[in-house]
Amino acid sequence: MTFGANAPGGDWTAGESNLSGLIRRVAAGDEAAFAALYRATSGRLNGVVARILPAKDMAAEALQDAYVRIWQRAGDFDPAKGSPLGWMATIARNRALDEARRVRPVSLEDLPQNFEPEADTVDPLAAREKSEGLAALIACLEALDEEKRAILMLAYYRGASREALAKRFGRPVPTIKTWLHRSLTQLRMCLGS
Amino acid sequence: MTPDDDLAAAEYALGTLSPAERAVIAARRLREPDLDAAIRGWELRLQPLVEAAPPIEPADDFWPAIQARIRAAAPAAAETAPTPESLIADWRRRASRWRLAAIAASCLAALLAVGLAVRETQRPAGPREYVAILQKDAASPAFEVTVDLDRQEFSVRPVAVAARPGKSYELWIIDPRLGPPRSLGVIDEARRRASLAAYDRTVVEDATYAVTVEPPGGSPDGKPSGPPVFVGKLIPVGP
Repeated sequence: MTFGANAPGGDWTAGESNLSGLIRRVAAGDEAAFAALYRATSGRLNGVVARILPAKDMAAEALQDAYVRIWQRAGDFDPAKGSPLGWMATIARNRALDEARRVRPVSLEDLPQNFEPEADTVDPLAAREKSEGLAALIACLEALDEEKRAILMLAYYRGASREALAKRFGRPVPTIKTWLHRSLTQLRMCLGS
Repeated sequence: MTPDDDLAAAEYALGTLSPAERAVIAARRLREPDLDAAIRGWELRLQPLVEAAPPIEPADDFWPAIQARIRAAAPAAAETAPTPESLIADWRRRASRWRLAAIAASCLAALLAVGLAVRETQRPAGPREYVAILQKDAASPAFEVTVDLDRQEFSVRPVAVAARPGKSYELWIIDPRLGPPRSLGVIDEARRRASLAAYDRTVVEDATYAVTVEPPGGSPDGKPSGPPVFVGKLIPVGP
């Protein structure tokens, strides 16, 4: 079996074209391919979900839901529009965010068990290996103030709500909203899209 | 699309919208291709960040649970513009698969019971799974409500529903035995399951389910603010 070419700008893991091939087989209802896809990606997707959902049972359900959706929607995956892991992670992240927003705003103090707050702060700037896409994004994030960058990262990786961010940074919620809008607009201009 | 819409799309992708705002954008994107494309654009812009997040291995029992669920679900169900008939047919298909699984499980249970002098407990008679397609007319399904009588739970999901910027959709259960309509909550994209334990089984089975358009976050006084825009009744699909 031959696999398709890597997605443009997405060559950050050796298994990427392999993942695309697996997703194509999953779209055809291949359960063995789905099992292989799960083995290859479940740690990554769980990393995304577990940081957003502090409660283990909620995280478990969100991750399982995400994989059921991936199984159902594998035919929608378009390698021309982003990496396979990015596509899967977006499904998982949206599912986790829906769950987080459904119940209550995620509190930054309410960390999952086994998480050291400091150890868990993901810093993309410290990533050793970077795809072209991540390198470009990091260059733009570096142009933001440190505080505004931290706000974006806590929102992205921890699913922090505006309220949680306001509390954490000691600013009113409308200020956080304005900062988010400015940062996102600046990011968009910087990325040139 | 206004610049405000693009910022809403950005915040939707980032995840910082309030629950009510998120529900409104989730409903609007179903009918507004520009907004949907803007959200996808932002998801793609932010997506490389995932690379930097270290993996956390999930528990071992996740995979069997996922496997069981994909085997129970209809394969590659078409998500685009389903008709009420296709939705119901789809549910019947799934139901028949559950029935097969239930037969297999009871065969296994019977084998295990041999020599153990265990008296088999029968499940109560009658269907356990119901679905209602809430619609304005036969050609326009808007929401799908499913009810699991064993768990006394319902779930609701939008099928194809017109955008109502700045409004929320709210689900109601209506039955003469209950008096005025009772709210089952605001429908947002995330809402999947909620309890029906407060209602009698017969009421749940016979009731009319209706959706009204309400201010963001739902009716302020616990009563429908206007006439239902989508209605439906349950039909049995499960064993």
